[in-house]
Amino acid sequence: MRLVVRTVSELCITVGALICLFVVYVLFWTGVRADGAMSHQIDVLHDQWSKKTAQPRSTAGSAAGATGGTTAAPAEPAPYRAGKPFAIMYIPRLGFTWNKPVLENTAVNTLKKGLGHYANTAQLGQLGNFAVAGHRRTYGDPFVDFPKLRPGDAVVLTDGTTWFTYRIDKGPYKTVPTDIEVIDPVPRKSGYTRPGRYLTLTTCDPEWGHSHRLIVWGHLDSTQPVDEGKPAALRR
Amino acid sequence: MYGWIWRHLPGNAWVKALISLALVLLVVYVLFQYVFPWAEPLLPFNDVTVDNQ
Repeated sequence: MRLVVRTVSELCITVGALICLFVVYVLFWTGVRADGAMSHQIDVLHDQWSKKTAQPRSTAGSAAGATGGTTAAPAEPAPYRAGKPFAIMYIPRLGFTWNKPVLENTAVNTLKKGLGHYANTAQLGQLGNFAVAGHRRTYGDPFVDFPKLRPGDAVVLTDGTTWFTYRIDKGPYKTVPTDIEVIDPVPRKSGYTRPGRYLTLTTCDPEWGHSHRLIVWGHLDSTQPVDEGKPAALRR
Repeated sequence: MYGWIWRHLPGNAWVKALISLALVLLVVYVLFQYVFPWAEPLLPFNDVTVDNQ
């Protein structure tokens, strides 16, 4: 009898300890790991870009230079490699130092290392909808302040040769997970009617749940080559 | 369970305590490195996309 009671209480303590450890893991450790992974991805990008600029400028760069300051985007970039970073996103509204790498595809393991670009949507600055997903909570909480985004806010991205400044037009808009038309080339609920260079950000809602999604939409406002320095939206 | 482990560890109380500590650390490491990363996607925090990928 005593043995049974002891074993049961030991099991209870063990399960309790396990749950506590798991909470620590989810709340704290995923963030530590993700912060490390994200800054590593950004380092990888800066490495690539510094190598690229050491060589003669690519055609994409010169095309951007020729049309800089207008809404015309550079020549179509090479296809992104799955799970690899290709851009850095800055959103001043989420914090002046807020910057996250954007990786290709939205697989679970990709989203642990940064924001994920929906693989079947337009490329950065191209005609269509450049759609990006990110964690609201856990893994560094990249989109924890997503509901603070407002129309007019800047979402700035760089691919190493060009700065792309998107302006948010609508959102945060709450929808259900199966509502895949929000990342259509011309999302119906966004109010856009004509094809254009759009941006969609998605994250989960409520904060810790998965019943809904929060969406914001924006359009490409301006582009400029990196040689011309940071875009106005990122200057303090 | 824990009493059984304690009785089967070698050495005196200090050695036993040290081995226990090492065992606890090993268990925590395995949990954080392998078990929790596997279990975490089963919870809803990962669903941030609109196409249920």
